[in-house]
Amino acid sequence: MRSLLPRLTLAASLLALAACAAPPPAGDQEAQQEYQQNNDPWEPTNRVFYAINDGLDTYILRPVAVGYRTVVPGRARDSIHNLLANISSPVVFSNDVLQAKPRRAGDTMMRFLINSTAGVGGLFDVASSLGYPQHDSDFGITMALWGVGEGPFLFLPVLGPSNPRDVTGFGVDIALDPLTWASFPGSATLGYARYGLSAVDQRERLLDQVDQIKRSALDPYATFRSLYRQNRASVIEQTRDDNQATVPAWFNR
Amino acid sequence: MLTRRTLLALSAATVALLAAGPLAHAQSAADATGFVVNLGNQMAAVVNGPGAPAQKMQQMQPLIERDVDVDDIARFCLGRFWRSASPQQQQQYLQLFHRMLINNIGGRLGDYQGVSFAPTTTTERDGNIWVGTVIRRPNQQPANVQWVVSYASGRPRVIDVVAEGTSLRITERSDFASYLARNGNDLNALLGALQRQAAG
Repeated sequence: MRSLLPRLTLAASLLALAACAAPPPAGDQEAQQEYQQNNDPWEPTNRVFYAINDGLDTYILRPVAVGYRTVVPGRARDSIHNLLANISSPVVFSNDVLQAKPRRAGDTMMRFLINSTAGVGGLFDVASSLGYPQHDSDFGITMALWGVGEGPFLFLPVLGPSNPRDVTGFGVDIALDPLTWASFPGSATLGYARYGLSAVDQRERLLDQVDQIKRSALDPYATFRSLYRQNRASVIEQTRDDNQATVPAWFNR
Repeated sequence: MLTRRTLLALSAATVALLAAGPLAHAQSAADATGFVVNLGNQMAAVVNGPGAPAQKMQQMQPLIERDVDVDDIARFCLGRFWRSASPQQQQQYLQLFHRMLINNIGGRLGDYQGVSFAPTTTTERDGNIWVGTVIRRPNQQPANVQWVVSYASGRPRVIDVVAEGTSLRITERSDFASYLARNGNDLNALLGALQRQAAG
């Protein structure tokens, strides 16, 4: 985990030297507009990384995810997902606080406490039924709420679709995670196991959707780009609009 | 010059308009929600009902053709290339788009076995009604899907489906635009690709 950050920096600097898409000729105004809207000046490099990712996915990640789905029963998979989400609670909490969303921060805190104890280390999601809904957050969303624009589209190896703001957010989240700094015998292995399991878990949850896109899209890269952007904008807007009070309504009467 | 009388008249007119607006739209909002719930229940009945996938496809098709404005979605997805297409190409494109949409939906019917759905909040945006629903499938996380209903053609028709913030129309248009850009903006190339998709 600690070595990931310098690698990310290296990747980022390499990208700066990478190929840029040529904008369309100045005469074609509609094509120009489309090019600006796409906001993907590094498209050639992005497509290369997409192809690499696609290969890795087809030959490694997807088969593992399919195997995971076949071998591990649904309830167990849900428990593993809950456990992984619980472990990430400190990061979500930090971001909730930085986003100045006290209700969300409270929900995350209560979820962490309740699920870690009554939910046996996070395996069982007891907190949801007690009125503390689950939500994810990351530093990319935090930066967006602070007013940082997303920047051009980036398709990264392994990490997939992203943009400069979200990649930075990913790095900061690793730094915000207490487990990154924890050092005990076996902590490195545990860290890799956690990220590996997280990747398989996420891939398994998206199996049907990704298969559908690859089957029916004329240009899967462009489809993933569009989906990523739209979904990201939606999540950010949801977070921005979430202004629930921290105290119950009856308290203020 | 803005006199007090003009200002009073203006504000009276605004109040009148605002009073009329929400009332008329409230009716459409409830109407649109009812329409989407009805359509959703009919589709769920087909999906959860007996029969082979091919039979279910046949049952779904009239529902979709009637209640979803596929032509409108198709025109939107082609974007600026619709205007420069010949009538023949336009016809061919519409036919292929219909087939592609039906095939895509049909291909996914199996995943939706046991589906149930419920309306959440309905809002109005840009003259269309966005009916929010939550779709639940067994062993899957519930999904927030919004159905955009337009009354432009006189009766309510779905013109877009927004799943977790991602719009079907916008995504499809992105796909087509990118494909065209990478194939010399040749509409025939797109039609060929759609044909291959529909066949295989």
